[in-house]
Amino acid sequence: MKKVLVVDDFFNFRLTLKNMLRSFGILYIDDAATGEEALKKMAVRRFDIILCDYNLGPGKNGQQILEEGKYRGQIGYSTIFIMITAENTSEMIMGAMEYQPDAYLMKPFAKEVLEKRIKNIAVKKLNIRDIEKAIVDCDYDHAIRICDELIEQKPGNLSEILKLKGETLLKKGVYSQAAEFYDGILQMGSVGWAQLARGRVDLLMGNYDRAKTTFERIIAQNKKMMPAYDLLAKTLLKMGCPKEAQEILVKAVEISPRALLRHKTLGGIAYKNEDYKTAEISFRAAVEQGKNSCYRSPSDFTHLAKTLAHGEEPQEGLRVLGHMLREFPDNSDTRLHLSVAESYIYTKMKKNADAKLALSDAEKFAADLDEDLSQELALDLAQAYLMTGEKEKGIAIAKRIIGSHHDDEEVLDDVRAVFKEIGMAKQGEALIENTRDEIIRLNNDGVTLAREGKLLEAIAYFEKAAAYLPGNKIINANAAHVLMLHMKQAGQTPEGLSKAKTYLDRVRKIDENYPDLAALLAMHRALASGDDHGQ
Amino acid sequence: MDNKMQFSDILASTLHDTKNSLGLLFNNLEDIIAACREQNCARHHDFYALQYEIQRLNQSLIRLLSLYKAEKSQLAINVDYNAVGDFLEEVALAHEKLLASRGIRIETLCDDTLFWAFDRNLIEGVLDNIINNAFRYAKSLVKLSACVENGYLALLIEDDGAGYPPSMLINENRQPRFKQEIDFKTGSTGLGLYFSMMVAAMHTNAGREGFISIVNDGTSGGGVFSIYLP
Repeated sequence: MKKVLVVDDFFNFRLTLKNMLRSFGILYIDDAATGEEALKKMAVRRFDIILCDYNLGPGKNGQQILEEGKYRGQIGYSTIFIMITAENTSEMIMGAMEYQPDAYLMKPFAKEVLEKRIKNIAVKKLNIRDIEKAIVDCDYDHAIRICDELIEQKPGNLSEILKLKGETLLKKGVYSQAAEFYDGILQMGSVGWAQLARGRVDLLMGNYDRAKTTFERIIAQNKKMMPAYDLLAKTLLKMGCPKEAQEILVKAVEISPRALLRHKTLGGIAYKNEDYKTAEISFRAAVEQGKNSCYRSPSDFTHLAKTLAHGEEPQEGLRVLGHMLREFPDNSDTRLHLSVAESYIYTKMKKNADAKLALSDAEKFAADLDEDLSQELALDLAQAYLMTGEKEKGIAIAKRIIGSHHDDEEVLDDVRAVFKEIGMAKQGEALIENTRDEIIRLNNDGVTLAREGKLLEAIAYFEKAAAYLPGNKIINANAAHVLMLHMKQAGQTPEGLSKAKTYLDRVRKIDENYPDLAALLAMHRALASGDDHGQ
Repeated sequence: MDNKMQFSDILASTLHDTKNSLGLLFNNLEDIIAACREQNCARHHDFYALQYEIQRLNQSLIRLLSLYKAEKSQLAINVDYNAVGDFLEEVALAHEKLLASRGIRIETLCDDTLFWAFDRNLIEGVLDNIINNAFRYAKSLVKLSACVENGYLALLIEDDGAGYPPSMLINENRQPRFKQEIDFKTGSTGLGLYFSMMVAAMHTNAGREGFISIVNDGTSGGGVFSIYLP
């Protein structure tokens, strides 16, 4: 039996919709007047069809329900989500390219139209199902094959299939093929999502100038194409222009103020640019908009608190931290966020004893979290140690972060910023250089062993290296690779397969777009299925 | 808190409210019509005229907001690659019932493999407006069709009425470079045409722009409205 949820702030309209649904023979119908209520109902029951009004008055809007439902796994690819709107939907579509409902329906509509829509979507979902499954399994070649077959047949949802094919090409890491694919689509017209994706390909390939031109052109044509601003800012950061990136995001939040993630990003960039005024505005917006959002995090509060510590009333930051404690569950993660930020603010207030006290708390909570300690929080902790004079501890943590991300310029820039803020820019740079050299040497030595055919030695070597650097994708990828090369020669074992899988899962968690990941996963699949010709 | 409110926001929120009411009116009328029919009440046809007016009102509101946004350069265009046949069928379905109440059939004719890049929303607004006019002038048939002509997608709406009056004919030779000032004294008709031309021109591809044409040479004997998209 199909379960349907109707979300609209207007009682009479809910009633009308429910009557329509009943006339189609749908018996299980629930309704909600607000986004919050809808999400509560979605948390306890899985709905097959969700009809949701976009504009729900104060509180969450329909787009947020869609995003949060997807984020929490309550809206799967088999769920039919129809957004009901009062006006032209182009703007909504462009505001959130990544999360699209299955259809938009404009009020008022006849029940026949609703019925046909639901039926059409149900039929179309069937052909998407296998593609999505192949993508989840990282079997990109298979996904592309299904897409190609479907594209040949020209189904009604061709656009959606083209989109999926492009995404799969990007995931597979075949960028020049993806570029060609999107160019083909763009010859047929200025298709918005294809323009964005074409720019993304250049961004991923490192063609920053071209990516920048593309995103600027999209914005010039279409001021409301919000993802273009985010991507342009990202490109500008890659080009080493953080001031320009900030300007772009400031423009974006002026046009579309309700965007939690964008506020977070903008706050972070402004903070690094030492524009504390802008950072404060953005972080305040993030805290405000984060209420009941799936994207909220204690770091929204700590970022705001740290920003305030640069102002005239640093104790204001401590107040913000007090709020945080009331908003989040009292656990090690929350406490660690709190203590690290407190330590920072006390240092800024020149209350060194209090700062040290807070830091000793932080040390305990960090030990509790151990492996679960996020990279960002670890860096904050390193900074706190460095600032309170415990340099060795700080450097040790920073070194571990650099080791895990030795080729990720964004993370390295964060590390640089921390050292710069405490006047140790030179030492920071040296630490990065040395650690990077060390990792590259470490990796090369292992690769050399494998090249010389000493696979068993290479396995032992990378196993040790991966234990030392569990967060480094290249080391983990190579650990899996040598293990699988050995199994190809000597036969597969369950332990070997499972170990390789652990390494590959780590790589995937760190960087889903890691260039060799798809090939390595394919190799693993072939080994696991006993087909030793696979590669 | 930023209390600055843009007029387009006020318009949009008023629109939202008004359309909720219109939606209710529309759907409640539908229930009343169904009940009337069951009781063999001859007057249920009159109610369709009310539904028709609701649709007109609704379209006027959407057009109003779009034109306001266009004036402020805030009107967005979002082009996707659409199945043209599916699109026309959906548009037809939305009008089918109301037209049937006047004894008018709506037909679509389009190759299933035809796909084109355009903004579905904006084009739907244009077609809705023309079909609503056909409600008044068609005798028994409204035909929606699509084909590719000289690299443009042509969407045609024809009916079997008496055709458009000479003063309303536009771009009879279907010239891509055609531009014409619209006389707003004709009221909503002029506004509707202005909107159609604007939406057509917003669609560009490889240096070419969309355009419209209104002629009286339809296969069904009446007028033909066409919108051409590059």
